[in-house]
Amino acid sequence: MRAFNAELSKLLSLPGIWLAFVIGVLAPAVVAALDSIVEKADIVAGISTRLSDIGYIGLGFGVQGVIIIGVLAISSEYVTESSEAGEGQQITTSLTVIASRLQFLLAKACAVIVISVLLCIVAIMTTVLATQLILGEHAPEFEWTRLIGAVCYWTFTALLSFGITLLTKNGIIPLTVLIINSSVVSFSFLLTKATKLAFYLPDRAGMDMFMSERYLTPVTGGLVMLAWVVVILIVAAIEFRRRDVTA
Amino acid sequence: MLTINNLVKHRGNKEILSGISFTAKPGRVTGFLGPNGAGKSSTLRILLGLDRATSGSALIDGKPFADLQHPLATVGALLDGSGAHRMRTGRAHLRWIARAAGLSRARVEEVLDIVGLSHAAGKRVGSYSLGMGRRLGMAAALLGDPAILVLDEPVNGLDPQGIRWIRTLIRERAQSGHTVLLSSHLMGELAETVDDVVIMNRGKIVADGTLEEVIGHYSTLEEAFFAMTSEHKGDVV
Repeated sequence: MRAFNAELSKLLSLPGIWLAFVIGVLAPAVVAALDSIVEKADIVAGISTRLSDIGYIGLGFGVQGVIIIGVLAISSEYVTESSEAGEGQQITTSLTVIASRLQFLLAKACAVIVISVLLCIVAIMTTVLATQLILGEHAPEFEWTRLIGAVCYWTFTALLSFGITLLTKNGIIPLTVLIINSSVVSFSFLLTKATKLAFYLPDRAGMDMFMSERYLTPVTGGLVMLAWVVVILIVAAIEFRRRDVTA
Repeated sequence: MLTINNLVKHRGNKEILSGISFTAKPGRVTGFLGPNGAGKSSTLRILLGLDRATSGSALIDGKPFADLQHPLATVGALLDGSGAHRMRTGRAHLRWIARAAGLSRARVEEVLDIVGLSHAAGKRVGSYSLGMGRRLGMAAALLGDPAILVLDEPVNGLDPQGIRWIRTLIRERAQSGHTVLLSSHLMGELAETVDDVVIMNRGKIVADGTLEEVIGHYSTLEEAFFAMTSEHKGDVV
């Protein structure tokens, strides 16, 4: 519990985390609002084909907030001080404060999970509020099961970013790839055009937990993504336990 | 008590440590010397559980670091730089460490005062000078009031006042029965601070004893050091 408190305190005292909060809370609400404005006429007329996904598309984008959290939780440990400042790394402090590497990782992962879940809940609230403000009585009903799917998607995505960064030790590559994949160009989406197997990639499978147009059932999608998370975290944890901090 | 026993470390094809053994005893300051690349930092890192030994052991009060129940209250460590993320404030850095060890916020303010950083505690670590970063690192090492201190180049970047402060602090810790192991390049400084000396060169221990024993027939510790670590021993004047 102490280790968890320490990791929570560490994450919350990094300025970068506020960027993650802003993206995580604002992006879904803004996308939901824009979507609602564009679709309002069709929705009121009862001919919108996208009503069922209003709000959820934004939640798909907002996942970038937790990608930042997952990456930052690890990459901040490996940021090297300038040569004038002695080239230290926080990871050396972390591992001399908590002796067990496994405990350190568990505490960190739990801190990431807690922050991701809370952030997603706030994002859902702002999203629902945005659609209701714009669409009023025509606003779609948000189903609990799909919202829980969105929370799981955010949490699993945060853990994937966490695991990948643990392997690379550097935040730039995972951050770039994951952010681009979840916003500008979805590599996995393009791949689904080539092979059906791409539907089993973590982000595709995970989106099936809450999007209406889906390949897998929400439960299967969730399990597939969870399997990815578990495998990547186990591989990353084994590598982290094995390697020297200096290596 | 720190016990290094037949420690061997390979990295790639290179042998960094070739079976080194020494102890650092309570109530004494042990100086750890050697040219760059001699293996000092590797030894300290293995001792602190950061790197893995290929064989041999490095024990803290008879236990490997990973088995310590309360690491921060057992051994305080100062390694490269400040060991803090540059975007965090000095106070926030010490606070997360305090949380991990179950220590109070009041203790954080206490150590900030001890190391003379209270005035800069609210500033980001990135804006600190090298000396301030080292003071922050010392604050973290002292946080749990450990009986053992392991300090890698503690006076690096400190001004004369800071060097004197560290020397006094280290002597006081040893006098109250604590164990202090410190590495340094500053021979003159070390000769004034340490009781015992361990000299390493190319992954091997070349001298180990009290300050007087190691100096032996040389006039200063520096001369003894160069005589033992120089490539061509005859070159030493």
